[in-house]
Amino acid sequence: MPMAITDPAQPDNPIVFVNEAFQLLTGYSREECIGKNCRFLQGDNTDPVAVAKVRKAVEAGDDIAIDLLNYRKDGSTFWNALYLSPVRGEDGAVQFFFASQLDVTERVESQRRIAGQKEQVDHEVRLRTADLEALLEAQSLLLHEVDHRVKNNLSVIGSLLRMQIRGAEEPVVRRALRSTMERVDAMAAIHRRLYQADDVRYFELSSFVVNLIQDAVNASAYNSLTLDSSVQRTVLPSEKATSAGLLINEVLLNLFETYLPLAAVKLDCHSDGKTISVTIGTRLLSKTPHHEMPAISAKLIARLAAQLEADVAWDRTLDGTSATIRIPVSSNHAET
Amino acid sequence: MQRPKPPLNILIVEDEPLIAMDLEMMVEDAGHSVVAEATSLYDAEELNDDLQPHLAFVDIQLALDTSGLDVSQLIQKRWPRTIIVFVTANPKIIPDDFAGAHGVMPKPLSRSGFLSAMKYIQEGVCDPPPTVQQPNSFTASPAFAATWDK
Repeated sequence: MPMAITDPAQPDNPIVFVNEAFQLLTGYSREECIGKNCRFLQGDNTDPVAVAKVRKAVEAGDDIAIDLLNYRKDGSTFWNALYLSPVRGEDGAVQFFFASQLDVTERVESQRRIAGQKEQVDHEVRLRTADLEALLEAQSLLLHEVDHRVKNNLSVIGSLLRMQIRGAEEPVVRRALRSTMERVDAMAAIHRRLYQADDVRYFELSSFVVNLIQDAVNASAYNSLTLDSSVQRTVLPSEKATSAGLLINEVLLNLFETYLPLAAVKLDCHSDGKTISVTIGTRLLSKTPHHEMPAISAKLIARLAAQLEADVAWDRTLDGTSATIRIPVSSNHAET
Repeated sequence: MQRPKPPLNILIVEDEPLIAMDLEMMVEDAGHSVVAEATSLYDAEELNDDLQPHLAFVDIQLALDTSGLDVSQLIQKRWPRTIIVFVTANPKIIPDDFAGAHGVMPKPLSRSGFLSAMKYIQEGVCDPPPTVQQPNSFTASPAFAATWDK
C-alpha cells in the first residue's frame, strides 16, 4: 500500500518519507517528494471543498478518510482514497502524520457513471410525467366540457317539454307530456348527482330518493301533505343508477297521481348488504279507488325491474298504497 | 325593514333562449313576474336603474364571453338589496363565499325542483326565516340568511 509520512514540526508540514508503492502510484521518485507538502499531487479538477476538509483535519490533529482526485507526474489523474491520521508522542503532541493512499479510480468512476445514468433516467421521468400531467389536464377539461354540455342539453330538453305542456290543450296529451317531463327530470337529477359525487363509481341512491320524494311532496297540490322518512345511506354501482332512478321515479309517479288526495307519505330505505329495499307508502285523505296504471308505466316498471333483477311489490287499499322496490347488489358493491 | 310581498319582481340573466323562456314560465307558474331579461354582462349594464328587482336568477356562462360572476357584482353595486341566485350547470366554478351572491340552483333544473326552490326563496325574502326545508335544488349562501336579521 502506498504510504507517506509528513512532519508538522517543519514549515508547511513537508513529506519526510514515501514508500516504494507511493512512488509507483504517483510516478514521482522519493527525492522529488521529500520536502514537499502533499498538495503537489492536487490539480485543477481537485475538489477544493475536499482539500479544505483535509486541511482542517490537519490543523485540528484529527484523522480523516476522504476521496481526492490526484495527479500523477505524467499529468494523468487517479482517485485517491486518502486516509490521514496523526501519530502522537508520549506528551500527546502530534509528532508526524501518517497518510495511506489507495487508487479507487474504478470505484469512483462507476459510482459517477451510475449517478449520471440515474440523473438521465430522472430527467426522462420528469419529462414523461409532465407530458402525462398535461394530457390528464386536457382530458379533465374535455370531460368537464362534455358534462357541462350534457347538463345544458338536458336543461333544454326539459324546457322544451315544459313549453309543449303549456301549449297542449288536450288533458290526455298534457298528462303524457308531463310524465315524460318527470322522467327526463329524474334522469337529469341522476346525471347531476353522478358528477357531483366524490366517487363516480357509486351512486348514492338513498339521498336521490329522499330528494325525489321531497320535491314531489313540495310540488303537491295538497299543502298539508306530510313526509315521514327512515333512511339508511345506500349506494349502487353507477352503471345501475339510471335504471334504478327511473324505476323508483316511475313508481313514485303512480303513487302521486293527481286524482289521489294525499294526506301522508312514508319512506323507508335500507340495505342489508345484499339487497337495497325502498318502500314508499301513501295515506289518502278519503277512500279512493285505483285507476289502472297507464300501460307505458307498467311496461317501464317491468322492463327496468327485469334489467336490475329487482322486484316491485304493490299493496293497494282504498286508504292508500305501499310499493316496495327490492334491488339486489352484489356483496362487493355493498358499501354502507 | 320593509319586506316585499309576493308577487316578486324577478330579473333573468341567461343566454340560452329556451332555458330563459322556460325559467320565465316557471317563475310565472310560481306566481311571480319577470321584469327584465339579459343574455350578457353588456345587456345587464343597459338595464334601467329603476328596475330594482327583488330577485335575480343568473347563469354563469353568458353570451359574448361574459360571466355571471361579473353580473352578480354589477347587481350588488346597483341594487344592494336584490337577492342573487346563480343558475348554472357548473356550480363548482362559484367561489366558496359565493362572491356576495345568495345561493345557487344547479342545472339541469326540474320543474318540481325549481318550484320547491322558489317556495323556499320566497319565504326567505318575504317572511324569513323559511318554514319549509331547504330543498336539494337550492343551496343558500351565508349571505342569504344574513338578510333575515335586518
